[in-house]
Amino acid sequence: MGSIFVGLTFTFTRQDTDYPVKVNPLKRTQIMKKMYFLLAVVSAGLFLLANTSRLADGKYGMVVGTPEIKSISSLTFGPDGILFIGDSKSAMVFAIDTKEAAMAQAAAIEVKNIDQKIAALLGTQVENITIQDIAVSPLSKSVYCAVQHSDGTPVLFKIAGDKISAVSTKGVAFSSLALNNAPAEDAKDQRGNSVRISAISDIGFADGKVLVSGLAGKEFNSTFRSIPFPFSDKQDQASLEIYHAAHGKYETLSPIRTFTTAEIGGKKYIVASYTCTPLVLFPMDELKSGMHVKGRTVAEMGSGNSPIDMVTLTKGGESFLMMSNSARPVFKVKYKNIETYQGSLTSHVAESFATAGVDFVSLPVTNVVQMDKLDDSRMILLQRRSNGNLDLWTSSERYL
Amino acid sequence: MKGIFKRLLQKKIRSYISYGLIFFITAISTSCNSGKENQKSVTIQWKDKRAIAIVIPRSLLPASTEKVQVILVNSQSQVAILGDFSQEKESVVFTPLIPFTRGLKYEVLVSDQPVGKFEIPPADRKEAPTLLAIYPTADSLPENLLKIHLHFSNPMRETQSAKYVALVKNETDTVAGAFLDLQPELWNEDRTMLTLWLDPGRIKRDLIPNKTLGAPLKKHERYKIIVSSRWQDQQGLNLRQQYSKAFVTTPRDSDCPMPNLWEIKCPKSGTLQALSINFNEPLDFTLLTETIGIHASGKKIVTGQWRVQDLEKTAIFTPDQRWSSGTYSLQIEAHLEDLAGNNLNRPFDRDITKKQTAINPTKFVNLPFRIVE
Repeated sequence: MGSIFVGLTFTFTRQDTDYPVKVNPLKRTQIMKKMYFLLAVVSAGLFLLANTSRLADGKYGMVVGTPEIKSISSLTFGPDGILFIGDSKSAMVFAIDTKEAAMAQAAAIEVKNIDQKIAALLGTQVENITIQDIAVSPLSKSVYCAVQHSDGTPVLFKIAGDKISAVSTKGVAFSSLALNNAPAEDAKDQRGNSVRISAISDIGFADGKVLVSGLAGKEFNSTFRSIPFPFSDKQDQASLEIYHAAHGKYETLSPIRTFTTAEIGGKKYIVASYTCTPLVLFPMDELKSGMHVKGRTVAEMGSGNSPIDMVTLTKGGESFLMMSNSARPVFKVKYKNIETYQGSLTSHVAESFATAGVDFVSLPVTNVVQMDKLDDSRMILLQRRSNGNLDLWTSSERYL
Repeated sequence: MKGIFKRLLQKKIRSYISYGLIFFITAISTSCNSGKENQKSVTIQWKDKRAIAIVIPRSLLPASTEKVQVILVNSQSQVAILGDFSQEKESVVFTPLIPFTRGLKYEVLVSDQPVGKFEIPPADRKEAPTLLAIYPTADSLPENLLKIHLHFSNPMRETQSAKYVALVKNETDTVAGAFLDLQPELWNEDRTMLTLWLDPGRIKRDLIPNKTLGAPLKKHERYKIIVSSRWQDQQGLNLRQQYSKAFVTTPRDSDCPMPNLWEIKCPKSGTLQALSINFNEPLDFTLLTETIGIHASGKKIVTGQWRVQDLEKTAIFTPDQRWSSGTYSLQIEAHLEDLAGNNLNRPFDRDITKKQTAINPTKFVNLPFRIVE
């Protein structure tokens, strides 16, 4: 990211910068010469910098600068190593060019006690930091990790092998977009002092669009935005309705916790999950501004639980949906089963904490707090182990 | 005699002058020494009560190229803290990625040898955060109360509400899973106002969480919301004390707010008198602050200050400029809710199997009123 990484140590040379008070004419000429030289160097630098900006401008309309990121709630990668950052605090999405080089092979990553290691690098104690999200770069296969200090300061880290380094967002190629918040904007018109509250619960990228789920305003309402990238003024906001079998009612008033995208039967879908864990499909071509889209609930994976992350993996021509949970192990669902399950759950799940719909398998992996795809068949997991340690590790194909 | 006195006086004056000079020189040398002392130690740079950087005087650093590191004392792994070094004339400034933590000790190393130590003093307890209000402020609340808002004096630490906010029934029983675990939490931008939902799945009738776990609140019972003093603000200071709000529950409120029944008390034209709107029931505090506005004829917005008072049953508007005679309109966004999440368009808890027409499917409701002399 901007190729600027803050190192572990810093080497410097002491320099004395004393200037003479009285200057003789000869020296003055020398100084003038020096100044002209400096001016020439600065001009050349500016010229080069301007060129860099123009080059950057050409790529996804980005400019070089320092994005004012106030919080990092959610991360996802787009094309060409572009990292999308969902910033709940400022209700914005940032796109940053990580300028990463592609790696042919993805090496497995294992970092034990990652929270303690990050806390030490930040010069604080582990209780003062929170890992907000992780995302694996599809190009370099490095893990990007969003950390928040207790005072709210966000820090972005990159984990390559066992090396953890901070990612500087100074002088990077970036673009940004403020999320539309129609009620709040109206409110601003009315009052001019709106107390905006927003929260981005998940962010994804598919078909040239940044997808953002979350809550906006103070009502219990779900918003799902589909934003074309490169960013323009356009952003579609659809309201989604799901049939929640555990509740036995249609619901529009539930925020999506996590989602992924998948192709099922030749059609592209958003696969979303909510608190109390229904699994719902929304056709992507119906997610248009102002549309009220009814989702098809294909599985009810147990109440009293919240989904955390979802990824799609493939092995031997078959694809799987992997889902981590707050109060359940990691689930594995075969997309083939979702495809063949043409029904939609329309009746109550009779027994409490029971499940219904498409069958799924519980993997022997619990307390996974973050998860992302490393390659077609492996995932990076951030797991709270039974001994209390927080470890980052790579799943093997045997889970599929 | 006179001469002797004069000599004595001159002697005295001389000695005063010399004492004065000695004092002066001592004072100067002391102050110079203290200046040198300062130059020999690491100093902390503060911004918004955060220790954002340290200044390492060059006198502590060898002239040759050396490795400089800043580490946390007594940490298990002695790794260098990440940050930026900048070169000043007399010093080197180190700015860590996040501010130094209050109450912790740090060390500056050159080629692994300590050259200076510093400690970030704990924050002043006098600045400890307080909980200014728990909304709704009434002490009788409907059993299907949907949300509460906590208003703090300082920006607070996030993701702590599940640990530090509890709902207690009849002074003894903590109601488990009463609040919805939302990640991320719903804070305002400066992290002083948090919205917590009582689990809507449990509030909605006949839903499975409602049937199995029951509603978080039952009517005609006594409850208390308790906010622990262990919750810290962003500076690391605990709340000044434990806070609580006691209330009793009243039967379910399934009715939408009815703006047609609101009472508007109009001021006289040519005055700066306040306009008051009585809702006849408490409404959601945070939505009230953003969903109502006053428009003059021609849809021009009337600017002024709003206050919500009387247990959120009344809103008071004081205009910036004197009222003129004429017709005005109170514009209310339809998503304004009462305490149970019923908005102007629909009740929160509706049975979609029964056919119901929306009470008011529009985005705004307008209430006209007249200002006269």
